[in-house]
Amino acid sequence: MKSVLLATTLLGFGLSSAAMAATKSDVLTTYADIAEATYADSLAAAKVLQTAIDTLIADPTDANLQAAREAWLAARVPYQQSEVFRFGNAIVDDWEGKVNAWPLDEGLIDYVDSSYGGPSDENDFAALNVIANPQFELSGKAVDARQITPNLLADTLHEADGIEANVATGYHAIEFLLWGQDLNGHGAGAGERPASDYAQGDACTGGNCERRAEYLSAAADLLVSDLEWMTAQWAKDGAGRSAVTADENQGIVAMLTGMGSLSYGEQAGERMRLGLMLNDPEEEHDCFSDNTHNSHYYDGLGIRNVYLGSYTRTDGSELKGASLADLVGDADPELDAEMQAKLDQTMDALGAIKAEADGGFAYDQMLERGNEKGEALIMGGVNALVDQAKTIERVVTGLGLDNIAFEGSDSLDNPGAVFQ
Amino acid sequence: MRRLVALVLVVLPPLPVLADVPSVVQDTVEEHILPRVDAFAGAGADLAAVAASTCDPDDDGLRAAYTVAFDAWIDMSHLRFGPTEVADRAFAIAFWPDSRGATPKALAAMIVNKDPALADPVAFRDVSVAARGLYALEYLLFDDGLRQLGQPETRCALTRAITYDVAANGAAIAADWHDSYAARLMEPGPDGPYQTDAEAVQELFKALGAGLQFTADVRLGRPMGTFQRPRPNRAEARGSGRSLRHVVLSLLATQDLALHLAADDPELASRLSSAFEIALATAARLDDPVFAGVASPQGRIRVEALQTEINKIRQIVATELGPQLGVAAGFNALDGD
Repeated sequence: MKSVLLATTLLGFGLSSAAMAATKSDVLTTYADIAEATYADSLAAAKVLQTAIDTLIADPTDANLQAAREAWLAARVPYQQSEVFRFGNAIVDDWEGKVNAWPLDEGLIDYVDSSYGGPSDENDFAALNVIANPQFELSGKAVDARQITPNLLADTLHEADGIEANVATGYHAIEFLLWGQDLNGHGAGAGERPASDYAQGDACTGGNCERRAEYLSAAADLLVSDLEWMTAQWAKDGAGRSAVTADENQGIVAMLTGMGSLSYGEQAGERMRLGLMLNDPEEEHDCFSDNTHNSHYYDGLGIRNVYLGSYTRTDGSELKGASLADLVGDADPELDAEMQAKLDQTMDALGAIKAEADGGFAYDQMLERGNEKGEALIMGGVNALVDQAKTIERVVTGLGLDNIAFEGSDSLDNPGAVFQ
Repeated sequence: MRRLVALVLVVLPPLPVLADVPSVVQDTVEEHILPRVDAFAGAGADLAAVAASTCDPDDDGLRAAYTVAFDAWIDMSHLRFGPTEVADRAFAIAFWPDSRGATPKALAAMIVNKDPALADPVAFRDVSVAARGLYALEYLLFDDGLRQLGQPETRCALTRAITYDVAANGAAIAADWHDSYAARLMEPGPDGPYQTDAEAVQELFKALGAGLQFTADVRLGRPMGTFQRPRPNRAEARGSGRSLRHVVLSLLATQDLALHLAADDPELASRLSSAFEIALATAARLDDPVFAGVASPQGRIRVEALQTEINKIRQIVATELGPQLGVAAGFNALDGD
């Protein structure tokens, strides 16, 4: 009776969304729907990229290279918004390295500038250059790489020798093959790989153009098939959807774990603050294409999507449903207001970085030693992300979930699982 | 009916003794945190003073000051919140792990280019954290390549710049704790970083969990690598033979923190203490100062046994101490991939 009364009162004030007391089950359905749509949009964009790459290989003109680059940039927009599904969902964590592993020792794949150096203490294969070497030895075994196939990349080269920096597949491998190394240091400008790196016969630059094309084509095929697989996991009866809906409290915890871990340890720490502290332009997330500002922005947006239960699809349509915001609003309206304000602050801070970068102040320049304006911009994003992680912890407590075992996050995990 | 209730109560585990959170926080700040930040500030100042008089990397006094300062840092290296995170102070004192080898590269570039920041402490604060702090100093004192690179005056200037910077950061951390942060932690409120006593104690609980996690997963896990591919070259501070020492020092420090947090439950405190003693005894038996043994299967198993004991402590912390304090694990900086 009380809730009916409350609902009527709130409706009177036009607060219909808060009045519809959301159930955890509804919230999880929205979450899985957004995951499915985000991966489906990523898949569609990857198919456009695959077609553009086919065109580039068939006819390696500057215009076709430019079109492939634009397709890659567009493909990142939905994919980055999917990163919030990491850290809470084991099915995503086990798979993610195939499509978005970073940072990479790109000399594994293709030619690099002499300043890159050779094999390092950390990685014997940092300069393997598989495109130039049809046969080589890997961890004591002879590898036949005369044909560059999706299987060679996924099963043999990727994370070769157990080194995570040996990234042979995914967005960043493709990014390197479309742009090449960014040799501008702290200056503006991305990699400048010429289209002739894919030319036939004497026009070929960089050597081994056919093998480079084979590599690029295989990497694009893998990206599409990997995204097809993940999209299916979030369809009706898919394993990703079933896992989050099997236990409602665990499902809500998975949502919050992804939001908090991406905000704090991953994005604020590993991706933003580290690069700034090292003044190292190679620590940029999308370093070859100079797309890091967008990558950060859409990661942040994905976090907000999950909280608000709303996702704007590539075609402009909006997917919206029962949300965490509704749940938190029912339990503690002030906490919901605090969470929404923090998420908005983050988007303002990440939006400021994006606006500056779009206006010509490159992310590389922001990282340079002594660049106070760049430091202030990046730290604005870092501080906002750290701040919102704090409020996400309050939400965990506010929803009474603090005694639920966290899964998928190192620190939130039950450490007992490590040695069981 | 009453009988039924009684039966139910019998099968339930006894209710935990709830902690007196405000006094736990106050005691931890006064007895665990402040002495450590003061000790590091003092050791950092001494190190800078010694380096000002000699920068000979073989000088016994300089090496002793380095040892004392590094020990003092490891003793507080789990306290990664508040003052250590302002202006990247903790990263500038201790940039490790360095998975891309940034420290030797950054040091070499500074020496070869005779970087103007070497002579300017303010400018040095803008230098990459990879070229600052105790791990960078270790290269200058112990790495054969860097000890011979460039001119002796340049290396000497770099040694002095690093030690001065470490001292400045140590002093700033201690000053912030005394001036404001201790009070903010002990007296939570709507305008501070902690709104409630529960949030304050959660911060300390997270520091304990993250400190243990770092020791198990990073200090031990990095050199362990995988069974097929161990990575002895990744051991922490192996150049000065300090890898195992860091594990022991951090276990002792986190033991002290754990016992403060468990002060209201002597039974739990005693079990935590035993778990730490077992881990420390396992470490003492290892006799492998830089974990070189991980290269062989037998040696790696022994290091793994130490890691297992630390994970058992983590288990007690997560499943018993957390509920006793009424707090959840929360997020920390190690959550990324």
